[in-house]
Amino acid sequence: MSWDKDWRTSEIIFWPEREEVDKYVYTPGISGQELAKALMDGRVLGIKCKDGQVYVPPKTYCPDFSQGELVEIRGPWRLLHYTVVYEDLYGNRLQNPIVIGIIKPDDASNGLIHIVNAELERLRPGMELKPVFKPKDQRKGIITDIDHFEPV
Amino acid sequence: MVTNLFVKDRVAIVGAGMTTFMRRALETPRELAWEAAKMALDQAGLTLKDIDCVVIGSAPDTFDGVHMKGEYLADGSGAFNKPMTRVYVGGGTGVFIPVSAWWHVASGLCRTVLAVGEEKMSPAHPHPQYVFRYIWDPILHRPLEPNLIWIFAMEMRRYMAKCGAKKEDIALVSVKNKRNALDNPAAQLAANITVDDVLKSELLVWPVNELDISPVTDGAAALVITNENVARQVTDSPVWIEGLGFTLENQHWENRELAYPRYLNYAARMAYKMAGIERPWKEIDVAEPYDPFDYKELHHIEGLMLARPCEAWKLLKEGYFDRDGELPTSPSGGLLGVGNPIAAAGVMKVAELFWQLRYEAGKRQVKKPVHRAVANAWGDLMQAGTVIVLGN
Repeated sequence: MSWDKDWRTSEIIFWPEREEVDKYVYTPGISGQELAKALMDGRVLGIKCKDGQVYVPPKTYCPDFSQGELVEIRGPWRLLHYTVVYEDLYGNRLQNPIVIGIIKPDDASNGLIHIVNAELERLRPGMELKPVFKPKDQRKGIITDIDHFEPV
Repeated sequence: MVTNLFVKDRVAIVGAGMTTFMRRALETPRELAWEAAKMALDQAGLTLKDIDCVVIGSAPDTFDGVHMKGEYLADGSGAFNKPMTRVYVGGGTGVFIPVSAWWHVASGLCRTVLAVGEEKMSPAHPHPQYVFRYIWDPILHRPLEPNLIWIFAMEMRRYMAKCGAKKEDIALVSVKNKRNALDNPAAQLAANITVDDVLKSELLVWPVNELDISPVTDGAAALVITNENVARQVTDSPVWIEGLGFTLENQHWENRELAYPRYLNYAARMAYKMAGIERPWKEIDVAEPYDPFDYKELHHIEGLMLARPCEAWKLLKEGYFDRDGELPTSPSGGLLGVGNPIAAAGVMKVAELFWQLRYEAGKRQVKKPVHRAVANAWGDLMQAGTVIVLGN
């Protein structure tokens, strides 16, 4: 029986509850710490594994569990896949649709998921993009330090 | 050896690893899992290519603050492109991880399993204790704003009343375990303390003081578990999983016997039967009873039938459970000394027994010769018991 169809909330006894914890504090991890520093300088890092594969963002360990070496990712970056978001989580129509893409640098074997600022009709997989960083004083060492990617 | 006709393969542990247990780790949960898993693989002399299946255990997602923690941890546990299972029975998870790995191997489904336990309790603020609000019945209990320490305090009080133990007698467990932890390089709270220090530490919920409780910890531990064929190839000294048990007692903790852990006793009887152990108090050489609180170790020693009910505290006073005693318990330092990252803590206990049974525990090695060992963990709404019996 679904109470929200049959009754008003004033007619049932219920207990409102609070959140479980006030907040979560996450740490970036060992290589995440290095990435955070690099993002503050406007750089992106990756990890180079023994088999020559480069992964972005860097991880402390490679898929075979060995430790890799941090390398700087220089690009060029290319759009692999993308989608267009027309509504936000609450069902509100967005005035400007957001393009979300997976953007892969040529010198790494995988890509980053990020926002793409480009006209919808210009979008095509394989197009070259470049990261646009936030102004230096607004960077926090997290992935949104890259404000978006845009066509070169 | 006891043969069980229903079991296809005999199962052995061939490697163990753990991270340092600490209060606020910089490492992400995945990195903790990787560190422990890599160490276990290295000890076994195996690589990820030799792993067929992965078993991950972790307590509530709300500790690490990542939902579907099994999938999240898979990456640091080497579960890429492999069958992966995540198990979770609250605090009992730690021992349930090798139990689950056991049936993966014993059934013949997987040859070699990487079993990883991880917990990072520091992300939840102000304190991970708040996560426990949601384990209670929302109508009967939660409006009273219960706290886990309530249960423990009542259990401890009941044990003291029924068995005639004094607070000083129980505090000895904390003294012993923190002292044992001095020899453990991974320990978070190793210390030389006295009974007085425990009694004078902050009173939280009568009769529980701060030093009666294990700390909040980040950490991971891992085991490599495999079948007899592989075990014989990779090592001369495999440690066999000879018995295991897991049971749930009454969900309603109001109706539970508080002075004696029946949830554990049922699980222990199941494990001993499988291992062919009839007199555990004589046949077990070293034990790692679950000790999130000091009285809990006494409780669990009795539940594991290593001492008669109400007698563990008397034997403890005589040094019976010391590292050079007749039946050493928590030689690692236990949860009180090494730390309590829930799921990883149980795996740490099994790992410690693995090292003890291979005489690899270094300064922590117990004095007497060891052949058989038992570990347990306890969890869910305090009614789940998990037990594992190991032999060399």
